[in-house]
Order: sequence, then structure tokens, then C-alpha cells
Amino acid sequence: MTDDKKNKNHQSDDQDMMKLVDNLNRKEDVNLNRRAFLKATFGTTVALGLATTPFGVLSVMRDGHNDGERVEIAEADELAVGESKNFVYPKEGDTAILVRTKDDKYVAYNNKCTHLQCPVFYEHKEDILLCPCHKGYFDVNNGHPVAGPPQRELPKILVEVQGGKVYAVGREYRHG
Amino acid sequence: MDKKKLSFLSIFVFLAINVVSLVQVIEGYYGREYGHVYTFMFVSLLSTALATAAFFIWRKEEYKK
Ligand code: FES
Repeated sequence: MTDDKKNKNHQSDDQDMMKLVDNLNRKEDVNLNRRAFLKATFGTTVALGLATTPFGVLSVMRDGHNDGERVEIAEADELAVGESKNFVYPKEGDTAILVRTKDDKYVAYNNKCTHLQCPVFYEHKEDILLCPCHKGYFDVNNGHPVAGPPQRELPKILVEVQGGKVYAVGREYRHG
Repeated sequence: MDKKKLSFLSIFVFLAINVVSLVQVIEGYYGREYGHVYTFMFVSLLSTALATAAFFIWRKEEYKK
């Protein structure tokens, strides 16, 4: 009787062992894992693809509100060559700087530094735009950063001189 | 290369395309270059659609027996 019992026990032990060995048979496992992996990859692909749509929708909404208003910002003789003046464009809070450069051209940029938003000034001795916060320099002729931490150009405000007045007529975020 | 493997691998290509386009879309959005946004959104949606097709092809092959 006891022997019998023992045997039975052994039997089930063996079966357990068989199951363990079964688990070691990895082929199935690998296949199933590959399936799961591909599904996850596919899911990520779809998620990333769909993630572009909100930006598209927002772009459509913002696309209409262009900055194209024409606003008078200065009298043409108000600034001497090498002088600058602050104004706002296109909205209150979008501070900007108008510079009459050494070669007597008008240029204007939004003057929030593209590094950490400090106001940018015109340094007329060196004919350059300077952000004093971390010594960022921008080329006054095109608004591109030339030294210091800023990486992006200043938004450029398009100006027009007409009938003795300087007008802002638009804005370009990326330029040149 | 057989159909199954091809569709399997293509999904990774589409994933890469989507990563790149999402980056471009975000950059374009913050740079207010909306044309850029639309282009890459289109690319990304197209690649998503193709990935979906590829996925179903792969699934059909994988599970048929
Ligand atoms: S904020 Fe202008 S350089 Fe840092």
C-alpha cells in the first residue's frame, strides 16, 4: 500500500518534471514574444502617427490669424542712424525692437531672446543685438544668433517705409 | 523575402518614419511654419495607414494554419 502510494507520488512528480521540461521548450515562447513585440511596435507607430493630428488641427486654427496687420511704428526721422526704439507687434506683450542700422536700413525683430526670453538690446557701438542675460549676440542684419547660448533666430518683423512713416507689415518666425 | 517577413520589417520602417515626422511636425508648429506641419502630418498619416495594412497582412500570414 505504502509502496503504491509512493509510486503514485513519483508519478505525479514525473509529470511535474515533464511540465518543467515543456517550459524549457522555448520555440513557442519565442514565437509568442515576437508577436507581442510586433503588436507593441505597431501600436506605437499608430500612436505616433495619430499624435501629429492635433498639431495639424491647431495649425489650421492658427493659420488664419496671420500677423499681417499693418501698423505704424515710428516716424522715419524719429531715429537717427544707429538708433533703436522699442514697440509692440503684433499684439500687446509681443515686444519688439526697431533699429535703423548703420547702412541706413530699418530692421525690426521681436526682442525676446530665443534663449530664455530676456529683452534684447541694440548695441550701436558694435552694431549688434545683445542679450545681457547670458551674453547672447544676434546679427542685427538678419536676427540670427552669432554668439552665446541662443540657438534660434529672433522673429523678424517686416517693415516698410512709406510717406515718412515706418510700418510693420508682417512677421516671419523662421527666415534666412 | 516572403510576404510575412516583409510586412514585419516594414512596420519598423514606418515607426521610424513616424518618429521623424512627429519631430518635424512639432518643430514646424512652434516655428509657425504651417505648410511644414501639413506636409509631415500627411506623411505620418500615410505611413500609419501603410503600417496598418502591413500589420494585417502580417497577421493573416502569422495566424493562418
Ligand atoms: S536669455 Fe538671452 S542669452 Fe540667455
